Amino acid sequence: MIKAKDIYKSFGELEVLSGISFEVEQGEAISIIGPSGSGKSTLLRSLIGLEEINSGELYIEGISVRESGKKAYQKMGMVFQGFNLFPHKTVMGNLIEAPLVVKGIKKSAAKENAAALLKKVGLSDKKDSYPAQLSGGQKQRVAIARALAMEPDIMLFDEPTSSLDPELVGEVLTVIRDLAEENITMLIVTHEMGFARDVSDRVFFMDHGQIISDTVPEKIFVNPESERIQNFLTKILSQN
Amino acid sequence: MFDYIINVSGYILEGSLITFQLYLVTAIFSVILGIAGALGKISKIPLLESILSFYTWVFRGTPLLLQLFFAYYGLPVLGITLQPFPAAALTFIVNYGAYFTEIFRGGIESINEGQYEAAKVLGMNYRQTMSRIIIPQTVKRILPATSNEAINLVKDSALVAVIGLGDLLRAAKVAVTRDFSIIPFIIAAVFYLIISSVIVTVFRKLEEKYSVYE
Ligand SMILES: Nc1ncnc2c1ncn2[C@@H]1O[C@H](COP(=O)(O)OP(=O)(O)O)[C@@H](O)[C@H]1O
Ligand SMILES: [Mg+2]
Repeated sequence: MIKAKDIYKSFGELEVLSGISFEVEQGEAISIIGPSGSGKSTLLRSLIGLEEINSGELYIEGISVRESGKKAYQKMGMVFQGFNLFPHKTVMGNLIEAPLVVKGIKKSAAKENAAALLKKVGLSDKKDSYPAQLSGGQKQRVAIARALAMEPDIMLFDEPTSSLDPELVGEVLTVIRDLAEENITMLIVTHEMGFARDVSDRVFFMDHGQIISDTVPEKIFVNPESERIQNFLTKILSQN
Repeated sequence: MFDYIINVSGYILEGSLITFQLYLVTAIFSVILGIAGALGKISKIPLLESILSFYTWVFRGTPLLLQLFFAYYGLPVLGITLQPFPAAALTFIVNYGAYFTEIFRGGIESINEGQYEAAKVLGMNYRQTMSRIIIPQTVKRILPATSNEAINLVKDSALVAVIGLGDLLRAAKVAVTRDFSIIPFIIAAVFYLIISSVIVTVFRKLEEKYSVYE
């Protein structure tokens, strides 16, 4: 599904991704954890073309990003920490925008599809609301539905619950958990360790621009292989 | 007395026709010029940015009256002779286009980077992103500044009287001189106030309409 080989990325002098390689199979849910500044966001953003990598090979569903650029990204959706909903459009408007203008789907069909997605994230009654009228948790669920409206094969989540009040985290995680059951391929950057442990098939631990551990959750949480990971987990668990 | 007011009002109203025409032409084309200028200024094409910066610097930094004189009395020296209305329209479009370039640029730049990123990951291209996501959001933010310019334009339009265009103000002045009465000026003032008030109301309605999403 995704194949990354020896990815390097620098911002000026600062090397942020230092030789990243991994493969993700169809239907896998991957959690990406690690200290702040370790390059997690940059990795996700590179996968979907928001950042240009300096070297390395990236294949999305067999399509080389270097050769086909934009086409490779089409089957991916992304959810941001800050939601990035379109404030001038209603919830329904947010969901049908890209299907209408990018895919050229008929409005009635797009609306029908959007209504089904809103039902799925539990927001059918909010379809005519504007983003400003929603809570953070509701906004993020709309953002997830908006990404799903483009029918992606792969979903990227960059700290989807980090800007939410603690009591709103659960409703968003529930939606993501449901997606995991549906076999959508997912990469989720998160600090919610319990969630990472429950939903993911594998966990990447990133540090200084490298994936220093790529393993099943039982292994990393129960019996972390390095002291670095152990320290990180102790620190983060004590914060929660 | 009453008959006189009606009479003079009719006369001044005829003059307002020119004012309205100038207003409409300027409003339409200077907004188009402003959008194009703003998109050029954020284009990250250095040469285009420099040219546009020079343009807004010149036209916002010199008097409109000088620009009007330049177009009407100056250009003929260079062999380009314009009739009063085209000279006035051209000057106003280019002058207001400079103000709108800066206003719209500021509006576009005030939109969060996340909006571009969200549009991009949904597969939208630059044109779709600008026309459907960014510019519609700018409209709301630039309304107050645009409203100011719209009212300024009503008042600035009176400057064309100095190059002999028979606009609202000139009609009033002719009537004052002809009849030796102060009433035409008062009527002209009332006309200007009515036009400005209509514009203020239109913009207030627009702002109300756009306030729904916040
Ligand atoms: N656009 C950018 N320009 C310059 N430096 C950046 C940019 N984006 C991220 N960085 C830097 O790259 C490093 C990794 O950032 P990031 O990928 O956001 O880490 P994480 O998501 O793991 O916290 C940080 O030091 C950050 O300051
Ligand atoms: Mg991050």
